[in-house]
Amino acid sequence: MTGATIDHLVSVTVFLAAIVLFIGLFNQTIQTAIIYQQHRYLASRCSDILDTILLSPGYPINWGKTDTYPTFFGLQDPEFTQYRISPYSLMRLQSVTGTPITYPKTGLTYSNITMGFGNFLLVPYTKAINYSAATKLLGVNNTLGFQLTVTPIITVTITETHASNPLTASVKVYGLGFPLSNATISYCFLKVKASQGNTPLYSSTFGTIFADDEGEATVSFQNVASDESYVLIAYAHLQGLVGIGYHERVTSTKRYVLPLIDSFAQRRVILAHSYDVHYGGPPESAVFFNATFVLLTEDFTLREMPMENSTGKIGKVNYGNGQPYANLTIPTYNPGILIATYKSNNEDGIVLMPWGMSTMAFPVTFGDKLTDKEWIVTSIRQILVNGIAYQAKLALWSFKGYSVVG
Amino acid sequence: MMRTIEILLVIIIITGAFIIAAFFAVLPSPRQVSPLNLRRLALTTLQTLDGDYSMSTTVFKPTGDSSWASLQIALSASLPPNIVYNFSVYEVQSNGKLFNPIKSMSNARDLGVGSDSASYLTASSNVSFSSTPQKIGESGGGSTLYILNCSDANGWWITGYTAQKLAGDLRMLLSPYFQATIMVQNTTQLGLLLNGTKITSSPYEKVASAVLINTFGETVPIPSGYYLTQGAQDSYAKYCYLLGQRVRQYNWTWASIVGWPLYYVSNTVALSGSQNGWGIYGMVMVGSPGLQSFLRGLDNQAYAYGNSQTGSPGVVYLSSVAKYYSDYYGIFPSTYSTATRALSTSILGTYHLSVSTCIFDQTGNWIAGAVYRHAGTGAFLSLGLARTPDVRLTAVGLLSDYKPRLYRSEYTAAGTSRLVVLQLGQVGGA
Repeated sequence: MTGATIDHLVSVTVFLAAIVLFIGLFNQTIQTAIIYQQHRYLASRCSDILDTILLSPGYPINWGKTDTYPTFFGLQDPEFTQYRISPYSLMRLQSVTGTPITYPKTGLTYSNITMGFGNFLLVPYTKAINYSAATKLLGVNNTLGFQLTVTPIITVTITETHASNPLTASVKVYGLGFPLSNATISYCFLKVKASQGNTPLYSSTFGTIFADDEGEATVSFQNVASDESYVLIAYAHLQGLVGIGYHERVTSTKRYVLPLIDSFAQRRVILAHSYDVHYGGPPESAVFFNATFVLLTEDFTLREMPMENSTGKIGKVNYGNGQPYANLTIPTYNPGILIATYKSNNEDGIVLMPWGMSTMAFPVTFGDKLTDKEWIVTSIRQILVNGIAYQAKLALWSFKGYSVVG
Repeated sequence: MMRTIEILLVIIIITGAFIIAAFFAVLPSPRQVSPLNLRRLALTTLQTLDGDYSMSTTVFKPTGDSSWASLQIALSASLPPNIVYNFSVYEVQSNGKLFNPIKSMSNARDLGVGSDSASYLTASSNVSFSSTPQKIGESGGGSTLYILNCSDANGWWITGYTAQKLAGDLRMLLSPYFQATIMVQNTTQLGLLLNGTKITSSPYEKVASAVLINTFGETVPIPSGYYLTQGAQDSYAKYCYLLGQRVRQYNWTWASIVGWPLYYVSNTVALSGSQNGWGIYGMVMVGSPGLQSFLRGLDNQAYAYGNSQTGSPGVVYLSSVAKYYSDYYGIFPSTYSTATRALSTSILGTYHLSVSTCIFDQTGNWIAGAVYRHAGTGAFLSLGLARTPDVRLTAVGLLSDYKPRLYRSEYTAAGTSRLVVLQLGQVGGA
């Protein structure tokens, strides 16, 4: 009798222990499968959301060219189909990179994409679409988080190899995984000329060169002194792939004009004295400016578009109270580059601002930061922004942790 | 003891069940759980490469053509380094074998641990329904179209465009209808042309009976030398007179695409120190006498300085003739526009002109857009609309006036479609 009882006790104990063990093992397998399933679902959502963003212009369809907020979020260029993205809608995305700046004279904070000195895109928060609004318009707020990165496929790097007479520059054209051999490179060279008056004068030269098998080319310019300011803008293209690079040399970075977008609808840009934004301190000299606009034509050559005086292309700005900023109207909705030459106390320089994100191959990073996320999925598309080849990458994550969604 | 043995048997059975279940329930690798969508990447890569129809052009070229190498360079440059590809082109055939391989290129021996592909159908330039236009002036050997594309002049009243952009658009619209289409690249070439000299070596170029389109809006480029010195009288109104004389002399059709014709003259080199009153240098304001002088020259009247007149009838509508030819040639501008520089009907009698084609319906005594033919030789197209210009109206106006026929050709599908397949693979990692 005692033996039978012990037999029962041992067998029940072993049985219960085995059941608990196997439940744990099966549960672990099932749990892993559920998490994998959730991640697979997330990857599918990522691809869908990226297509939603890239294959719809949003509503109103031309919201990128207005100052109004869209009621549906999408970045497709309304004049095209497929993966062609509006350069103006991209401009209105609030960048997650770059330190925002505040301009006291407008009282506004500006989203900042600065690609080295002299290459600015500053959009007021009041006109930029923020991440929170975008998640609501996409219907993923509180469930999914994302970061959208739009980067140019072709990189054009310009390096000054000889400072003067002749000024020589090396142009290197690279893709994501290979140099763009034998690419055709159109360039615009704009030099600030010595002048007696306050208004800076400039001269421009346009031309075409060809890259070698390594994707490199050299261009030289006569009659350029080592203390003269200039900008060299180069467009490289081969078989539908187009990339842009630029290089500036300025004699002064202390005082300059800073272009701030004021209105997309009115194509109006504010030119501010840099001291009002970056420095403060004692009063400084006025900065005189002379602006022009360069656009990329369909035959991949750069052309200067003359600006009327009424656009505010010539003027001066000063620092401090009682010194208003200058207004400048861009003459067209064709994407191009606003070039502002400036002069102050016999020091001069050049600043650039893209009108249409693609014209200076500016990258955009829009959304939340990627740190501290449990599982991030990504999806990639090749896109065209006004004919310039870009890559769009969406990183997506779920706020619901390990639980099954959907 | 039996119970314990039974339990051990149960445990063995459950263990077996777990092992069997685990054997069949294989979890996917992390790459398969969250895969890179290679199919979409392949499709968008093909679309990018064909963004300006470069790829469509290349895949129809002979397999030894150098553009294939350029295509491969572009393909390699556009894909991330960890992506390998196999790019294949097939000809789509209508009988027998459906796809005939044309060429294949790859950057790896195999496509790694996983691959996916996308296909893209390209069409050659003659795949669509095509038509062969009759050449204007065909019976006389064909007319020449000259488009002013001068790099040393600035435009006015063409806000939002450059003259060069408009010239390019006009070339695309009108070149099929002319024996030769020539871009006048600078004012020096314009000067040669005004002297009756050909500016290219093309055997098809004919100065006489040509059509000249001024893409500079209210501005007209002025050459240095004779025309700058002789034409300088009365703030270059005399130059406009000389232009009118040349139009009559060579039986040209002069087209003004927008605004008040000949209101400014421009030469960014010779007139670099002058500005038009609105901040554009290299330009001088002639004012309203420019048009009057031109018409006097066209009518072979003696030169006299005097004003011309334009009016603002407001919204004007395309004439029925223009609408008909808009449909016929497949060029569709807006059917209405705003005219602020319409010409007066009084010029018809004063300068012996007749309206050969009305582009917009006449409003009162104002003609917003028309082709005027002189009783002798020479013609003049004027579109007195508010900026910005729509060059489709110029094209419709000229075609409505010359009426070249379109000979429709049949659609032929054989050999006109090629299938491009891009297969992508991912290398590296598990």
